[in-house]
Amino acid sequence: MTTTNPQHESSAAGWTADEVLHKLDDGLPQGEIPAALFGNADVYDRELRSVFGRCWVFLGHESEIQAKGDYVLRRIGEDNFVVVRDEDGGINVLFDACRHRGVQVCRSDSGNTSHFRCPYHGWTYNTKGNLVGAPLWRNAFGGMSKEGNGLSPAAQVASYHGLIFATLDATAPSLEEYLGGMTWYLDLVFGLNSDGIEVLGPPQRFVIDANWKSGADNFSGDDYHLGTLHRSVWEIGAFPVPFRENMLGYHVQASPGHSLSFSMAPTEDEPGPKFFGYPEDLAATFDTSRISEHQLNVARRSRVFVGNVFPNFSILALPMTEDGSSHPPTGILTIRTWQPKGPGQVEVWNWFCAYKNMSPEQKERTYRAGLGTFSMGGSFEMDDTEPWITVSRTGRSVAAEVLDFSLNYQMGMPGVGIAKQVDDWPGPGIAYWTRYEEGVQRNLFSFYSRMMQAAPGQWPDLRFPE
Amino acid sequence: MTLTKTRVPVGSALHNEVVEWLYTEAELLDDGHEAQWHQEMVSRDIVYRVPLRQTVERARGKGFAEGTYHLDETYGSLGSRVLRNQTPYAWAEDPPSRIRHFVTNVRVAEADEDAVAVRSNLLIMRTRQEQTQPQIFAGERQDLLRREEGVLRLFRRTVLLDLTVIGTHNLAMFF
Repeated sequence: MTTTNPQHESSAAGWTADEVLHKLDDGLPQGEIPAALFGNADVYDRELRSVFGRCWVFLGHESEIQAKGDYVLRRIGEDNFVVVRDEDGGINVLFDACRHRGVQVCRSDSGNTSHFRCPYHGWTYNTKGNLVGAPLWRNAFGGMSKEGNGLSPAAQVASYHGLIFATLDATAPSLEEYLGGMTWYLDLVFGLNSDGIEVLGPPQRFVIDANWKSGADNFSGDDYHLGTLHRSVWEIGAFPVPFRENMLGYHVQASPGHSLSFSMAPTEDEPGPKFFGYPEDLAATFDTSRISEHQLNVARRSRVFVGNVFPNFSILALPMTEDGSSHPPTGILTIRTWQPKGPGQVEVWNWFCAYKNMSPEQKERTYRAGLGTFSMGGSFEMDDTEPWITVSRTGRSVAAEVLDFSLNYQMGMPGVGIAKQVDDWPGPGIAYWTRYEEGVQRNLFSFYSRMMQAAPGQWPDLRFPE
Repeated sequence: MTLTKTRVPVGSALHNEVVEWLYTEAELLDDGHEAQWHQEMVSRDIVYRVPLRQTVERARGKGFAEGTYHLDETYGSLGSRVLRNQTPYAWAEDPPSRIRHFVTNVRVAEADEDAVAVRSNLLIMRTRQEQTQPQIFAGERQDLLRREEGVLRLFRRTVLLDLTVIGTHNLAMFF
């Protein structure tokens, strides 16, 4: 028997980005997402311009460049930017390309310097990016102005709780406006006490043959995968909250694009981890000097916080241990970027953080627990990469196009599962209880679609309609 | 750790014993006998580290950032990894990779505390599923082996990888 389905007509050329985005818009209200989103090369090219070329992108933490002249080399999209503290203590984000021939002027991942010199002809820039000279200046360039020939800065640079972001889009709204409701949740993690956080060393970097959006999708609040993919972590005692109990909590669409998820005890008196499992003497320093009583109470009941700031900055706080036989789980905090490296490749940049007022022993404990679980060699994270590789394989497949193959993101939609929207959540955004829910990912892809299709200079709404 | 003092010649009894030990270790790891390696060849007070490396200017050294690692393991945490791989849910290594350790340039010196200091070059070729291009790790291992009840056991290992950005999706294997 042969049947024909008009939807299944193949085209000789692959789908364009516009075709994939139209399918995304058509499918999202039903919880369907075209698989091609995770592998289509035309989509990827559009992302570099429409998403990474415009959005606020996370670059690093201020504690990485404490002294004047300290710099780190980071990326916006696929392009290198020097993030440097200048002589006046300001932070500059400079496109790593000499104004003479476009050559890379910073060739180290990090360091301390008073200037950057191009290896090609010697054009030299200070830490503000100003051109300060070139060899035999009078003969070569006498009469030409140095002004206007400096390194190109990012259009806007700003920090939030020491987290440095930049955007290439001069028309982008301010960082705080862009973060929107997400600031309430960033405060709740990074502002738990008056000391704030610092990073523990440079980031670990590794490459996965997967699409960058798999990381953003997963950290927007994919808790359901723990029961299968990460079942081993319970077998070895790495994580103290049983799977079913861990599914209790909230999914929050903080504002368009930014999503997160809390595993949370139903009441304050519940036994089990509080404040993400941080030690009691540290938790005693958590206060309302920088956050509200509501935020402190949410943090107190929280066991896991996982979230993604659109597009590619993720945060995870939870109790873990690298060796259950010797050490009980303790709070860890990892921040990471899903650095795009092509439609089928992502470079993970993974930092571990500590509260600045932790004792050296607590810092070592949280670092070891984090490294042994949420790193490329860690018991928790090493399994995540396996499925993502095949998501991207499906995403670039001819079959996915010919069969009009879409992915199911229906969990928590009306009539699907037990999750229900709640109206007594103290924080901003749209909240659901329990975590059997994928609205957090639909929020990611809905904003993604609007960003991808926004005209130059135009910005999608950064607030949900009332 | 330096090897300036009392390096023993290639072919000497001690050198042969160390090479034999390294080959046995590589065989156990390549054959998937991680538990046996852990139990019989690793000291209970092992410090097993793969430091994080960055690209830095020559004046700043080789770029190994102090106190930061890809792996920083104890006997207990290595045991957790071995145990994890034995569960039916260790997707990162099930189906298992094909892993081959190539150990060369073995330099041996007597060290303090009845220990032997060993530097070797390590090349690991790893293939997953139907891959034909291997994932490759090249680097140097700096080991201290100690005689415990007559048997050599590994009690310090530092793996200095040549990579700054690790070109593989996980470190589910042992160096």
